Amino acid sequence: MNETRGLPIAAYLGALVAIALAAAFIATLAIVIFLPPRPPDVMRTDTVTENFQAGYDHMLALNRPMNERGMVWAVREDPPEQLGSPVMRHTRDILASALELGQDQVRIQASNVVQSDTFVFRVAGLEDWTEASQQAVEDAQAAAEEARRAHEEATERLEAARERIRDLEHDREEMSAHQHAAEVARERERERAEARAEALAERQAAAAERLAERLEQRIRVEGGRVIIRRSDGETETVEIHGPDGMVQNFEVPDVDVRVHVPDAVAPPAPVSPPAPVARVTPSERAETPTPPPARTPVARAPPVPPAPPMFAPAPEGVVLISGFEVGAQLPDGRWLVMRQGRNWAELGWIARAAGIIGGTLLVLSILAVLFARYLTRPIRSFADAVQAVGVNPQSEPVVEEGPQELRGAARAVNTMQARLRALIADRTKTLAAVAHDMRTPLMRLRLAAENAPPEQREKMAKEIGEVEALVASFIAFARDDPAEEARVRLDIAALLQSIADDHADHNRSVTFEGDERLIITGQSLGLKRLFANLIENALKYGDTARIKLRAEDGAVIVDVEDDGPGIPADQRESVFEPFVRLNEEGTRGAGLGLAAARSIARAHGGDIVILDAENGALIRVTLPG
Amino acid sequence: MALMNETAQPPRVLIVDDDAAIREGLVEVFQRAGFAASSASDVPAMEKVLNTRGADVIVLDVMMPGEDGLSACKRLSGKGRPAIIMLSALGDDADRIVGLEIGADDYMSKPCNPRELVARAKAVLRRRDNDSAAPGESVRFAGFRIDIARRELIDPDDVVIPLSAGEFRLLRAFVERPQRVLSREQLLDYAFDNDSDVFDRAVDVQVSRLRRKLERPGGIEIIRTVRGEGYLFAVKPAS
Repeated sequence: MNETRGLPIAAYLGALVAIALAAAFIATLAIVIFLPPRPPDVMRTDTVTENFQAGYDHMLALNRPMNERGMVWAVREDPPEQLGSPVMRHTRDILASALELGQDQVRIQASNVVQSDTFVFRVAGLEDWTEASQQAVEDAQAAAEEARRAHEEATERLEAARERIRDLEHDREEMSAHQHAAEVARERERERAEARAEALAERQAAAAERLAERLEQRIRVEGGRVIIRRSDGETETVEIHGPDGMVQNFEVPDVDVRVHVPDAVAPPAPVSPPAPVARVTPSERAETPTPPPARTPVARAPPVPPAPPMFAPAPEGVVLISGFEVGAQLPDGRWLVMRQGRNWAELGWIARAAGIIGGTLLVLSILAVLFARYLTRPIRSFADAVQAVGVNPQSEPVVEEGPQELRGAARAVNTMQARLRALIADRTKTLAAVAHDMRTPLMRLRLAAENAPPEQREKMAKEIGEVEALVASFIAFARDDPAEEARVRLDIAALLQSIADDHADHNRSVTFEGDERLIITGQSLGLKRLFANLIENALKYGDTARIKLRAEDGAVIVDVEDDGPGIPADQRESVFEPFVRLNEEGTRGAGLGLAAARSIARAHGGDIVILDAENGALIRVTLPG
Repeated sequence: MALMNETAQPPRVLIVDDDAAIREGLVEVFQRAGFAASSASDVPAMEKVLNTRGADVIVLDVMMPGEDGLSACKRLSGKGRPAIIMLSALGDDADRIVGLEIGADDYMSKPCNPRELVARAKAVLRRRDNDSAAPGESVRFAGFRIDIARRELIDPDDVVIPLSAGEFRLLRAFVERPQRVLSREQLLDYAFDNDSDVFDRAVDVQVSRLRRKLERPGGIEIIRTVRGEGYLFAVKPAS
């Protein structure tokens, strides 16, 4: 039945939800997968070598490449290309020595190398830095302490010298005047030397202090040396030796070195102007001889640890690279290669996310379909009930249930069904009366004809037969109620064969070809009438009828062909209307055969159509298999 | 009760119809054919005749004033009742089946060929002599079933196998005379009432068609050929 085409509402809703969710899902997936990848990050070569060392150790220890640190790891036969840059060579050498491999066993190549002093890096080891500074401060203080002790010692010695002088003066009274004078002069000379030593110690302490002051710069203390690495790459070394050695080494060009004296060290008044022993910058030279009182303890009393620096210039030999590939030969001769690139394994979470999202969508879709089915269930049962009433007016009334609108519709259908039943009862009575009233006179005539001479009798019988056929077709069509007969499983091939045989037995040319046995479900009387009508029709317009049966795609197709004049294309639909006859002249019958046949076919869920034929007419009956 | 003796007594026919012209016409036709014919215009009159004269076969109109033919037919059921041929103005297949199912032996629609009616009456009487199944019943054999009212064969899988008129009559003739060798002439006589259209050769054609419809893989041969003599229905049917 054509009305059953189209999907249930549940299917539409379910499909809609499913499509919407699937689209969202695919879009999400596409965003994740196809978003333009970020340009490769630049990395510091020292970080790269550190990563690679970890990966190499991992490989040696576990005999499989690691899968971490945002790198793609692989073990392969060929080494990566070597990059000729001297900067990279340096990095390679560092890596080779760290891995304890020969230089030719390590290869680094990078598509971008950036070497510039304009880069500064966020300082990594902040604690180390602070610790080192504090160490430097402590060292400087220790040095200052030592200097103070030296000063005290010098003072002591000076005191001792004075004692000696007093002794000598005492002796001088017993010595000659020149002798005395000479003694005094010598003594003075010694005094001056003491004072000088004192001043020197003082200065050492001050220098150490100064170094501690300049902690913005990189300071390292090694033994007695303080090494300062400046931002412009210059290296300054301050050597502070013990008080005895008295070695100073200032190589600080163009630096404003400010000196202050810590509390603990109270500089004694210089006995004599100190002789410069170190080469210092002009500015410093100008300042050191006269330490200005303004810069003493008040401003910078305790040696505060410097604020940790946030950024620092790149360490020596460190450059930035990207798109690199680092390889090192493994003991078995293969190469462990670390490549910067998208590591798909890290996308594992996306797969899991997709699984979760997909699963959720599936569940949602199923729920949506179930919900929609639940919503439309009363409508479906209503449709079934109405269908049953439509097929058989004697069926049970539709149950009034479900939503309000449906109840109203059910009530209307039940009212209609009651009227239908009444109409059918009326019609049956009327038809019976009509049949009786028309056929009784015909029977009388037929009996009267028996008394007529034989040649007239045959003629009359023929005429009466024709009138009877007309009456029969009217009544059959009028009372036609295809739904009344029960449906059974029947052999359509045997049915068609028996119709053909019946005609053949009466010397009419009706042939059947097709399967020996083809079982369908249908009404045996209805189908017999359907095909009998078609074949009578064929024989009415032509001399022969051919029935061809075949099964196709779950349907049964019966073609009835004749060799008559055929049916013009523009009349192929109208001939199925009641009382329409193709050719008004010379044809018999009420024009009801095809109409009745089509109504039977449609009641079976099939149809009848007229097709083009080379000659004659071709009527095709399709029935569900 | 009324077993017919063809040589001694003519068969008695009772025409029941409310139309006088039809009654008279049919009485004349039957008398001409050698029947002892009487008539009644309605069911009470019919019963009166049955009680007085009796009848071997009743030609019963369906639509009559008062009690109609179908209910009268139903009441007359039971062993020993006369054979009944329904003659109805309702000529549909469905009406015919209803008539046969409630116990009529045959059913014809008006207007009919009077001579055919006589032939049917004879056939009906002959069948009763053979004590064969009434049309309302069904006959079973070898897993098959014959629905006599519908003229259908129902196979062991419950599939309806439609039969042509000739096949049905032939099968019925076989089923009524099982396990007997039947010559072609006998079959012509029993099945086709010596219909002028049917001749010897046609019997063979009908038999072969019928055989094809009765053939089942692994099944027994139901209709056997007896060389030079005719055919044999090899299984025993049961009602």
